[in-house]
Amino acid sequence: MNDIITTQSLTKYYDSLLAVDHISMQVKEGEIFGFLGPNGAGKTTTIRMLVGLTTPNEGSATIKGYDIREEIVNVKRCVGVVPETSNLYNELTVWENLRFMAGMYHAPKNEREHRITSLLKTFGLTERRGAKFGGLSKGLKRRATIAAALVHHPDILFLDEPTSGLDVMSARSLRHFLRDLRETGVTVFLTTHYIEEADQLCDRIAIIVKGRIIAVDTPENLKAVIQGTSIIEASFTSKVESIAVEELEAYGKVEVKDNTLWIQVTDVSKSLKALTRFADDHGLEVAYMNTVKPSLEDAFVKLTGVESEIMLMEKERRGGGA
Amino acid sequence: MMSGRRLIREAKVAWTIGIKDIRIYYASPPSLMFGILFPFSMFLSFVIGRNMPITRAIPILIAQTLFFASSSIGPITIPLERRMQTFDRFLSAPVSLWTVLLGKTVAGFIYGIGISVIPIAIGAVFFGSQITDLLALVSGMILSAFAFAAMGIMFASLPGQGPGQILMPFNFVRIPLLFISGVFIPVKDLPYWGQIASMFSPLTHTIELVRAGLDGENFFGPLLNLSVLTIYFAVFVFVGIRFHIINQKRE
Repeated sequence: MNDIITTQSLTKYYDSLLAVDHISMQVKEGEIFGFLGPNGAGKTTTIRMLVGLTTPNEGSATIKGYDIREEIVNVKRCVGVVPETSNLYNELTVWENLRFMAGMYHAPKNEREHRITSLLKTFGLTERRGAKFGGLSKGLKRRATIAAALVHHPDILFLDEPTSGLDVMSARSLRHFLRDLRETGVTVFLTTHYIEEADQLCDRIAIIVKGRIIAVDTPENLKAVIQGTSIIEASFTSKVESIAVEELEAYGKVEVKDNTLWIQVTDVSKSLKALTRFADDHGLEVAYMNTVKPSLEDAFVKLTGVESEIMLMEKERRGGGA
Repeated sequence: MMSGRRLIREAKVAWTIGIKDIRIYYASPPSLMFGILFPFSMFLSFVIGRNMPITRAIPILIAQTLFFASSSIGPITIPLERRMQTFDRFLSAPVSLWTVLLGKTVAGFIYGIGISVIPIAIGAVFFGSQITDLLALVSGMILSAFAFAAMGIMFASLPGQGPGQILMPFNFVRIPLLFISGVFIPVKDLPYWGQIASMFSPLTHTIELVRAGLDGENFFGPLLNLSVLTIYFAVFVFVGIRFHIINQKRE
């Protein structure tokens, strides 16, 4: 597969703040490429630079061979953009919004009607074609926004946090649409802070933290960075005191939430014995105990040093000590 | 250099943007308030109780509506679209910023012309006002509507996430212009320094051309009026686009 997006030391400053720090990467034609990172990591800024919404301070990038500085109009012709906010016109109907977008992208006049009808069908919006965009649910707005980004048949679709704020069903159905889209040959570049989503959806993932890419690989290869480690999940019939688990930290990183704790260990057998001893010492009754495969989240934490929400909450509860 | 084909394509997109703005924003409360209510109420507060023939007052109303209506659309649509992030739709489309701002200028132009035709029709139908110089009237209205629409676009480049944040400082410019432009006191009756100052106001040349068109009265001469309005239009377009480019670079 050819590289359809390449960046070389792409950098963006907002005054003295370094938002994107010399990132270099390649996205292959026809893949779903995920840009994974916490809030404020530089994901949106990278997309904004690639689609011409903001200018990079340093570095270069090409999209389908077109330089984003020199040939931005050609770049814009071959990309569709779905920002984090579903930004069609509330006052116009779904149909009118799509027709407006077709006009903006010079879609051939004789094909516009057919394209719009077909997109509405694909995204399950045919019934709502006459509804004002502002009156749609969040999930339908998202679908309409994606449909609008596809009206000119782009080669690459950029999506910024596509499922953010959506309910489970809408998010699942959207992921289904994106997989189908890849089958039609469209390259999908998406940003997300949902690790599970990146794992399920993306062919390759770039992990970005504080503006820097720290790993680019397939989800499987990223998970392999913590191969050799296992996670023991133990649930008790009563709440585990946070302070008590400190004695387990000799065996690996510990996370606690209510009645359950997780330990990332290298020696499962030794750790299981320690855990049983821990339960006896503290009068805890084990509800269940099992070992789980490391997830992409574990790999993410290992690679980035960015701790999960649960770990941060736990630290806060303990008053900053870990 | 843009090819003829691309020029046509960009013009079509500008028209698409203009039409969209007309559909969405013409009847919006800020447009009605600043484009119609504001000039009409200012006009009424000026003429009521004064012994002024209505045919003398009509040109004032035409110039005021042209001025306020045309220049209000940009400062209403652009900050609203920035706030709703729909302005990014234009910036991520394969069209130049010129085209986007031209579309917005067209929307302001049509609004200004559409509203200012009303007092002309009222004057002609109910008060028997007559057009003495059609060319001066039409060219004056067209050029003025374009210049004021571009002026609004230029002010809309001020950073702000709502029309109020743009219209407030803009009114600090628009309202004083009324007093130095021979709207309430004809240019010929202004003191010498007032006449000099009024020459630099685009609104002076609008009212001059409208008066030339309706009652044949003109101080500076239509040629100077048209030249000054053309220069202002070019300056507003150029400065407006530069400001918008600077804003985009900051983002």
